[in-house]
Amino acid sequence: MMRPRWRKVLADLTGNPVRTLLVVLSIAVGLMAVGMIIILHHGIGEDMHQGYAAVNPANIQIRVPAVERDYIDHLKKLNGVRDVEGVRVFELRIRALGNQYKPIKIKAYTSGDRSVINQVRLLEGRWPPKKNEIVLEANRLGDTRYRLGEEVEIKLPNGDLRYLKLVGIVNDQTIGADAGGAGFFLAPIQGYILEDTLSFLNQPEEANLLLVTVDGDANDLTYIREVADRILDDLDRNGIETFGTVTRRSIDHPNAVYVDAMTAILYLLGFLVIFLSGFLIINTLSALLNQQLVQIGVMKTFGATRLQLIAIYLTLVVIFSLLGLIVSIPLANLVAYFEFNALAPKLNYISRGLRFVPQSVLIQAVIAMIVPQMAALIPVVRGTRLPIQQALSGISGSQEQQLSRFSVWLTRIRGLSRPAAISLRNTFRQRVRLALTLVTLALGGAIFIGTFNMRASLENYIARLARYHIADVNLSFTEPYRIDELSRVILGVPGVKAVEGWATALAQTVQPDGRSGETVLVQGPPDDTVLVEPIMIKGRWLLPGDYRAVVLSEVFLEHYPGLKPGDRLRLKIAGKEQDWTIVGFYRFAGKNIGLTAFTRYESLAEATHTYNRSADFRVVAEQNAMSLQDQEALAERLEQTLADKGYKVQEARAGKSLKQRTTSGLDTLTNFLLFLAMLMAIVGSIGLTGTMSLNVLERTREIGVMRTIGASNRDIMRIVITEGVLIGLISWVISVVAALPVSQALSRAIGEAIFGGAFPLEYVLTGPLIWFGVILVFSTVASILPARNAARLTIREILAYE
Amino acid sequence: MFRNTEMSASLQDRSEPRGEPVIRVKDVRKAYPTAGGLFYALKGVSFEVKRGEFLAITGKSGAGKTTLVNMVTGTDQLTAGEVWVGAVSVHQLDEDRRARWRGENVGVIYQSFHLMPMLTLLENVMLPMDFCGLFHPRESRERAYELLKQVELADHAYKLPSEISGGQQQRVAIARALANDPMIIVADEPTGRLDTVTAGVIFEIFRKLAEQGKTILMVTHDRQMARRVDRLLTLHDGVLVDGNQPA
Ligand SMILES: Nc1ncnc2c1ncn2[C@@H]1O[C@H](COP(=O)(O)OP(=O)(O)OP(=O)(O)O)[C@@H](O)[C@H]1O
Ligand SMILES: [Mg+2]
Repeated sequence: MMRPRWRKVLADLTGNPVRTLLVVLSIAVGLMAVGMIIILHHGIGEDMHQGYAAVNPANIQIRVPAVERDYIDHLKKLNGVRDVEGVRVFELRIRALGNQYKPIKIKAYTSGDRSVINQVRLLEGRWPPKKNEIVLEANRLGDTRYRLGEEVEIKLPNGDLRYLKLVGIVNDQTIGADAGGAGFFLAPIQGYILEDTLSFLNQPEEANLLLVTVDGDANDLTYIREVADRILDDLDRNGIETFGTVTRRSIDHPNAVYVDAMTAILYLLGFLVIFLSGFLIINTLSALLNQQLVQIGVMKTFGATRLQLIAIYLTLVVIFSLLGLIVSIPLANLVAYFEFNALAPKLNYISRGLRFVPQSVLIQAVIAMIVPQMAALIPVVRGTRLPIQQALSGISGSQEQQLSRFSVWLTRIRGLSRPAAISLRNTFRQRVRLALTLVTLALGGAIFIGTFNMRASLENYIARLARYHIADVNLSFTEPYRIDELSRVILGVPGVKAVEGWATALAQTVQPDGRSGETVLVQGPPDDTVLVEPIMIKGRWLLPGDYRAVVLSEVFLEHYPGLKPGDRLRLKIAGKEQDWTIVGFYRFAGKNIGLTAFTRYESLAEATHTYNRSADFRVVAEQNAMSLQDQEALAERLEQTLADKGYKVQEARAGKSLKQRTTSGLDTLTNFLLFLAMLMAIVGSIGLTGTMSLNVLERTREIGVMRTIGASNRDIMRIVITEGVLIGLISWVISVVAALPVSQALSRAIGEAIFGGAFPLEYVLTGPLIWFGVILVFSTVASILPARNAARLTIREILAYE
Repeated sequence: MFRNTEMSASLQDRSEPRGEPVIRVKDVRKAYPTAGGLFYALKGVSFEVKRGEFLAITGKSGAGKTTLVNMVTGTDQLTAGEVWVGAVSVHQLDEDRRARWRGENVGVIYQSFHLMPMLTLLENVMLPMDFCGLFHPRESRERAYELLKQVELADHAYKLPSEISGGQQQRVAIARALANDPMIIVADEPTGRLDTVTAGVIFEIFRKLAEQGKTILMVTHDRQMARRVDRLLTLHDGVLVDGNQPA
């Protein structure tokens, strides 16, 4: 038989199932949030690392004009090289939905059908494709209308159409591996062919991209770079120019940066949810101890020491925690399961599904054993400290007895109906409880609103990045044309307001030892450009008189600390090394995109020997603030006109397409944040339900009195619900204010993680407005149960209540 | 460590011969802080109770009766003076020691019963044994059952307090007070909430306990009862008016 004191613990547990449920749920929600995040972090991390390593990803990718197969065989013998594969990569256009042509990046395997590096996984159809057949990648397949067996229409730069049979659909985890963080989201549609199809697409047969795996530690970046240097030296010796080198560890999935950015913030929010559920425990236990003061007095009378009493109540909390754990562990796994499946296609990794993550269970257990007990300690110590006589009188001190000055002041508010006045005054009776409830609700709200602000800021930031590409349509050609001549043609197209011909080149930084370093995209707009509105960090923008001056993106500052305006930068452009003067640094997309630089058109045209000519034209439309669809229509019109006149268009890209893609990548992140904010709102609502239940319970007598003087069920329910909604509304006001610092912190954290720097914060009304609706619904729902309980009390029960 | 000394103290008390003073109250004062300053509910009360004595305390409402017995049970802190029970100076014990001492040596009975609402009658009686640990859990269960039998409630052992009448509840409270076999029983108006017939039954139980050698301190308003005890103390505005023998 159980000892009486443990029987009492059990009775407290089962005697008030609603209270037990509320406490257990509020503990469980917090544990679940952290548990789920741990499962996701570990699971996605594992899937990304192992799944990526399993495709035998290239550790080194080097872009070259063209190399022969013999040379590739020679490279394989180099020290530290395990395998080399030469592929030809090029962009054409594919007919997508409707009549539009979208860019397609085609990868041709030039070493027969072997593809041992950067392996793709067949999802449907067959692999490898045969002559004049193509395989498409699944991720952007939705942008096209093709199904297996259909003829894929490819447009060549000269306007000719080619038809390739779609025989397979694959998944390629290496998309974006040759670019910075957002590479995957910026990548066009991907296609795969074999080398015998190259001539059909008017492409030369030599490889222009070397995929290299290293022999040795493929997860040691320093070592990989050493091997890369060895290859670059060899290329140099053999007179083969290089356009860019990317090194990457075998476990570094291209989208891992997003996961890393997410998890840091998610952990933070997860622990915040725990913190909030701690508040709920304090609230509920304070009320529980208040209700049991007489019992505590009795137990003390019959010999219970404080330690025994504390043990009794902490045991109760331990049981609450264990129950919470029983709920949270499967729940965390369930939610993680859905997230696994939802995130895998968005982040382009292969989910191996749910698995047991011991850390998740362990950490949930540790938190469950510590946090609720700590939270409970405050009310338990206070409740058991009360002198016996005071406890037996059932009064815990000043709280309920004396009305605060504020409560007295509230009585001066005139013109309220009686019930409304009761609701209003009741709201402020239990001030500590009210404060804790408000904190919980307001914090959830602040994060909810903050997430919206952060999202708006991100979008705004990306829009600001678009200030370097303001054009409505970017036209690129396979060969340079005279600017004045082509400008006339373009201006003749209806709807075009202005056009600029830019110089662009891929340059290489030259290291002190003479080796070529990183690739830099250099752009040279004309002096009178209206298409760049830079955000300067240091120094100044270009001036018409400048000679061989460059402004650099902020990534330079990270890669070359100490670089400052006035310094010289040695660049290799079109095979020639020259010193350029740095005049300033501008803010661009941070880690998201590699090194970029701007210079005057004149300087770059001189370096590339394309004076007065350009292959890169930027078009401004007459219509202001064009939509993506309008831009795409204009692009199509321009392309048609130019192709008809015999110009070799490589691509006509709508200005907004870039922004749209980048945003969609970040949506994954913001949706997750919203999910967590909703969890907090749920914790808050549970807290509110608890608070309202306790309020009702403590006022049972008053409710009885109101009944005897004629209050109907509806009157009593209305009084309780009004009080709950009032608390919700107060919390809304607080959360709107608290959202300011929360938004700041969120966007700083995300900015650091993704862009390597904070981005300017934007405040939008969407968050507060939606939260207003949410809180209204939540607080009403949270008050309904207590209100119904209050209305259901019969006079007999009320008189029996002690 | 302190438990041992108390245990031995209580054993020593038990062995004291009948007639020796077991409770000694010396010039006890109790002040309550009120809005108008300190209010003295006890203004220097002194008396002794002999072992096995059945003592009643009467007085008007507000005279200080409850305050006085709280000083003896140590459920409240005195302002000045001394309270000795056997060799223990109650006023000098800290709260936890006092709780343990009281649990073992004093059986307290309240006017409003104060049973634990969610424990069965049996468990209510077992509770003091549970806290003080004087009896093995199995033993305590048998003992509780015995005590319920004594107050003629063994049949209801597994009921909850809300399922029995007020008089029955008070009998359970008496059984609970006897749980650790204390030498002193302190009851504050134990019959105050009961009708005359039921009150009579309760009083008879006290009488029997007194005959068995328990020292009993009982607050009562009932003149009939007051007349049938060994000694009667009357409190008036915080002072004892006379220590007259029952008429
Ligand atoms: N906690 C307290 N604070 C202030 N004054 C108190 C407190 N408890 C009791 N008193 C006052 O002390 C005096 C004695 O109270 P006490 O409860 O001891 O009286 P009593 O004789 O037991 O009365 P009753 O027969 O009504 O139970 C009374 O005047 C009472 O108002
Ligand atoms: Mg009294």
